Amino acid sequence: MARRSSRKRPIRWHIGVFLAPATVIYTAVMILPLLGTLHLALFREVDREQVFVGLDNFSTLLGDPRWSASFWNAFRNNIWFFVIHMLVQNPVGILLAAVLSSPRLRLRTFYRTAIFVPTILSFVIVGFTWKLILSPLWGIAPYFLDFVGLKSLFAPWLGKEQYALTTLSLISVWQFVGIPMMLIYAALLSIPDGVLEAAEIDGITGMSQFWRIKLPLILPSIGIISILTFIGNFNAFDLVYTSQGAMAAPNFSTDILGTFLYRTFFGFQLQLGDPHMGAAIASMMFLIILSGVCFYLVAVQRRLVRYQF
Amino acid sequence: MGSLKLENVCMSFGRVNVLDDIDLEVQDGEFVIFVGPSGCGKSTLLRIIAGLEDPTSGCVRIDGDDVTLTPPAERGVAMVFQSYALYPHLTVRGNMGIGLKQAGLPQDEIREHVAEASRMLSLDEYLDRRPAELSGGQRQRVAIGRAIVRKPKLFLFDEPLSNLDAALRVHTRLEIARLHRELKATIIYVTHDQVEAMTLGDRIVVLNEGRIEQIGTPMELYRNPVNLFVAGFVGSPQMNFIDAARVGYPDADKIGIRPEHISVDPGKGDWEGTVVHAEHLGPDTMLYLQSDQAGLVTVRLFGEQYFKTGQTLYMTPQPERLFRFDAKGAVLGRVPEAA
Repeated sequence: MARRSSRKRPIRWHIGVFLAPATVIYTAVMILPLLGTLHLALFREVDREQVFVGLDNFSTLLGDPRWSASFWNAFRNNIWFFVIHMLVQNPVGILLAAVLSSPRLRLRTFYRTAIFVPTILSFVIVGFTWKLILSPLWGIAPYFLDFVGLKSLFAPWLGKEQYALTTLSLISVWQFVGIPMMLIYAALLSIPDGVLEAAEIDGITGMSQFWRIKLPLILPSIGIISILTFIGNFNAFDLVYTSQGAMAAPNFSTDILGTFLYRTFFGFQLQLGDPHMGAAIASMMFLIILSGVCFYLVAVQRRLVRYQF
Repeated sequence: MGSLKLENVCMSFGRVNVLDDIDLEVQDGEFVIFVGPSGCGKSTLLRIIAGLEDPTSGCVRIDGDDVTLTPPAERGVAMVFQSYALYPHLTVRGNMGIGLKQAGLPQDEIREHVAEASRMLSLDEYLDRRPAELSGGQRQRVAIGRAIVRKPKLFLFDEPLSNLDAALRVHTRLEIARLHRELKATIIYVTHDQVEAMTLGDRIVVLNEGRIEQIGTPMELYRNPVNLFVAGFVGSPQMNFIDAARVGYPDADKIGIRPEHISVDPGKGDWEGTVVHAEHLGPDTMLYLQSDQAGLVTVRLFGEQYFKTGQTLYMTPQPERLFRFDAKGAVLGRVPEAA
C-alpha cells in the first residue's frame, strides 16, 4: 500500500495554471454576459421590480403584431444582407485572389494592400464617406456619372426604400472583400507548384485548372469564409447605425437585428429602452447564429476535406 | 515514336547561367539518365523539355517538330514528379483519368486506359482511394500511372525515387525498368543517385555546372571517363585521385585509380601504406590506407578480408586501369605501362 501511494501521480498544477488566464478572461467577457443576457430575457420589470415571466418576452416578440413585424422585418433584411455578401463579397474575393495569385501580375503587393485597407478602416469613416459619395446633393457619384453621360442612372440609393439595404450591403462588401481575398489567396498559395505543373502537363490550364484543381482545394477556406460572413452579418450593427442612424432609415428598410436590438435595449427618440425585450432580441440573435453555426458544422464542414499535400 | 533533340539550349536566371549550350539527341525508345550533383541544371533541363520553363535560347525538338514554344500539354510528354504531385482531391482513378477527361475522350475509353495502367502497376485495389490513403510507393505508382495513360511520346522522371525508402527504391527501380521494356517508351530520367543511373540507363548524360561533361553508356563512363569530374562522379566508392608527381608520373597533374583496381600485398608493391580503417560490407571490404607517397587511398577488396589497423600493406594499381589527368582535369589517355 505504501508503495502504491508513493507512486501516485503528483497533482499537475501546471495544467490549471496555464488554462486559468484564458478561462478567466473568456468567462468574464463572454460567458457571463451571455448568461446574464439569457437571464435578463426571462424577466420583466413590473412596478420597478423584476418579475420572472418565463418565455413571455419571446412570445411578445414573436406574437405581438407590432413587435413581430419589426422583428421579422429586421430578420428578413439581415438575411438579404447576408445573401448579398455571399453572392458578391465571396465570389469577388475569390476572383481577386485568383488574379493576385497569377504569376504574371505586377504590383501585386500594392493591389493586395489597397484592397485590404478598407477592412481596417472604422465603420464610422466608411459609412460617412459612402454617404457623402452617394449624396444626391454634394456627392461625387452623380457628378462622375454625369461625366460619363450616365447621370440618368443615378438615384439616391441610400435614401430609397427599395435600394437602401442593397446599397448598404454593397458598401459592406466593399469594405470587407479583403478578408475573403486574403484567406483564399493564402489557400491558393498553399497549393504546391508541383500539382499545378502536373495539371499544366495534363493539359488542365486556365479556367479549367481553376474549376478542376484549385477550387476543390480551396473549398475548406470558402467554408470558413462563409461561416465567418454569416456570424459577422448577423452581428452587424455599426455600418447601418453610422450611415442610416438608429432608425435604420428610410422607414426601417435597412433595419437589421443589430439596430433593432439597439433601439429596443437602449431606447431611441420616443421609444423607451427596455432591457428585458432587448435581451430577448439578443437571445434570438444568439440562437440564430448558433443554429447557423451548428448547421455548418454538422452539414457542411464534415463533408469538406482538408487536403494534405 | 518519341525522339528528342536539344539544340544549343541555354538557360539563365538573371545573370546566372544555369544551362550553357546543351546539345543532345535521344533516340526513340531510349532510356536516358541525366545525372549530376545538385544545382547542375539537370532538373531545369528536364523542365525545359517538359515545357514548364522556357529556355533563354535554343531549340527543343520532339519527333523533329520544334516545340520550344509549345505549351506542355501539346508536346505529348508526361512527367513524374519527385513529390508525386497527385491531385489530393481526386481518387486514384480520377488522378489517372483527369488528363484524358480534359482532352475530351469518351468515358469508356478513359476507363479502359486507366484499367490498363492500373493493371500494369497493380493499382487495381486502390482505384477508389485518395492519395492521402496511399503509401509513398503507391503514390509514386499512381504518378507513373497518370503518365502512362496519356501514352506520351516522352516520359520525364524527375528524381522519382528520392522520397522512397531504400527497399522500396530498389523495387520501384525494377518496376521502372520493366515498364521501359514493356512500353518501349522513350524515357528521360533525372537523378543524383549514380546507382539508379548505372542500373537503369541506356545512356547517361553527366551534367556539371550547366554543361554536359560526358554522354555515354554506363560502362563507357566507368571505363573511359573523359575528365576528372566524370571519373569522380561515376563509381562508388569514388576513384582515388593522387598527385601525379609524388608517385612518379611527371607528365600528368593527377592520376586516378578506382578502389577496385588496386591490389594489396603485405610483402611488396608500388606504394607503401598503413591501414587506418576497414569497412566490412560482406561482399566487399573497403580498406583506407594512409600512404606517404599517395596520401589516403581507398581500396576495395572482394569478400571478407581482415587486416589490423596500423598494419603496413603495399598497394599495386592495375596499370591498364590508371588514368592520367592534366591540370584542367581532362584525361590524357590511359597509362599503357607504369612509368
